[in-house]
Amino acid sequence: MNAMSPDPLSPQVPTTRHPVAVWPWPIALGLLTIFGLLSALLGQHGVWLALSWAALSIPLIVTVACLFKAWCRTSSVKGGQS
Amino acid sequence: MTTRTLRRWFVVHKWTSLVCTLFLLIVCVTGLPLLFSEQIWDTFVGDDDPPYEVLPAGTPNASLDVIVDKARALYPGQIITSVNPDDDEPAVLVSMAPSWQALKDDENYPDRHSGHWIKFDARTAKVLEQSRPADAPKEPRTWTGIIMGICNRLHTSLFAYLPGRLFLGLMGGVFVASLISGTVLYGRFMKRLPFGSVRTDRASRLTWLDLHNLLGAATLVWATVVGFTGLVNELQTPLFGLWRVTDVRQILRPYASLPVPSQDHLSSVQAAFDTAAKAAPGNEVTGLSFPGASFGSPVHYVLWTRGATPLRARLFTPVLVDARTGELTGAYPMPWYLRFLEISRPLHFGDYGGMPLKILWALLDVVVIGVLVSGLVLWAAKRKIATDARLQALGYELDDTSELVPLPHAAGEGAR
Repeated sequence: MNAMSPDPLSPQVPTTRHPVAVWPWPIALGLLTIFGLLSALLGQHGVWLALSWAALSIPLIVTVACLFKAWCRTSSVKGGQS
Repeated sequence: MTTRTLRRWFVVHKWTSLVCTLFLLIVCVTGLPLLFSEQIWDTFVGDDDPPYEVLPAGTPNASLDVIVDKARALYPGQIITSVNPDDDEPAVLVSMAPSWQALKDDENYPDRHSGHWIKFDARTAKVLEQSRPADAPKEPRTWTGIIMGICNRLHTSLFAYLPGRLFLGLMGGVFVASLISGTVLYGRFMKRLPFGSVRTDRASRLTWLDLHNLLGAATLVWATVVGFTGLVNELQTPLFGLWRVTDVRQILRPYASLPVPSQDHLSSVQAAFDTAAKAAPGNEVTGLSFPGASFGSPVHYVLWTRGATPLRARLFTPVLVDARTGELTGAYPMPWYLRFLEISRPLHFGDYGGMPLKILWALLDVVVIGVLVSGLVLWAAKRKIATDARLQALGYELDDTSELVPLPHAAGEGAR
C-alpha cells in the first residue's frame, strides 16, 4: 500500500516549505466551468452539449480524485501502524 | 497582505457565510427535487390525460377560431381569457371565466376560482379534458404534489411570497460576497499547500479546513453563477413591475381609456397568431390573452412569442394585435434588464443541456452542500475553542483540553 501512495504528498510532509502556485488549478477549473456553462447554452448541438458535460464533470472528477488520494493515504498510514 | 487586511477579510467571510448558510442549505436541498421535477411527476403521478388520437403524421392543426367557437358554444355568455397552444403536446388550452369582473373579484376571495379551462386536441378540435368545476369536491392531493409544492415554495420564497423572494435574493447577494471573501482567504491559506491536498493525519479541524478549501475551489465559479442568477430570478417581480410602469404604460397610453369591446365582435384569433409570428420572425407564439386582461390593453390581443433556441427560449417578445381590426400594432422587445433576467433563468435551472447536465447540476449542488457543512463545522469547532478558553480563563477545569493545542497552520486566527 505504501509503495502505491504518491511521493510528493506522502503523509509525513503534506505541506511544502516553499510557496506553491496557488491559482493555476482553481483558475483552470473555473475556466472549464465557464466553458461548460456557455457551450451548452450557445451551442445547442450534439458536440457542444457533449463538450459541456465533459467540461463540467472535470471539477467533480478532480474533487473526487483528491478525496480518494487523501483517503488512500489515511488508510495506508493506519495500515502501516497496525 | 497585512494581518489586518487578512483579519478583515476573515470577518467578512465569517459573517456573510453565517448569515446565508442556513438559507443556502434550504435552497440547495430543495433545489435537488426541483431539478428533476419533470421526472418525479412522471414517475410518481404519471400523465392522467386521455391518450391522443393517432393521426397520420403531418395532419394540420385545426384553426384556432374553430376551437375558440367551440369553447364559446360550451359556455355561452362567458368570456375567453386566453388561448395557449401546448409546448410539446398537440393540445390547446382555452381559459374562460364568467367575466373580467368576476376574475378581479376572485382576488378578494381566496376560495373563489371563477376561471376555468378546456383542453382541446389541436388537430381535431375535440375536447380532451376540462378543469374541475369550482364546486366539485377537491381532488385529493398526492404526496408528490405536497412535497414538490413545499420544495418549490421553500426554494423560491420561504413561504413568504414577495418579501420571501426579496429576502432570498438578498441572501444570494450575501452568498456571492461570502464566495469572494472566501476566494481571498483561499489564496492566503493555500500558499504552502499543493492544490487539493487534504491533511488527514493532523487535527481534524485541518481536515475540515482542507475539505472546505478543496470543495469550495472546485465549485467556486458554478456556485457564483447559480447564486447570482438566483438573485436575479428573485428580482423578477420588481423588474416586471418596473417594465409595466414604464414601457408598457407608454405603449398602452393611447388605448388606456377605451372600453373593452364585446367578444362577439373581435377579429380572428388564428389571424392574430399568424400576424404575431410574422411580426417576430424566428420566434414561436406561445399564447394569446384577450382584450381586457389585467396588465393588458382593453382593445388588443396580447401575444407572447419566444425565441426558438435554448438561449432565447426564455426571451419573450410581446406582440400587440388590435382585436377590433386584426391589424398589427407592434412587437415590443423587452428592456435590457428583463433580457438579462431571461438569460439568467437557464443558467440557474440547468435545464438547457439534457439529462447529463441536470445530473452534473445535482452533483455540483451536493458539493456546495459539502462546502456549507464543512464551513459550519469549522465555525462550530472554533466557537468551542473560544468557549473553552473563556471557561479556563474563568478558572474552570476542563476534561477535554486537546482542542486547545495551538494549531500548526493557525487557520483563521483573525476571528477573535
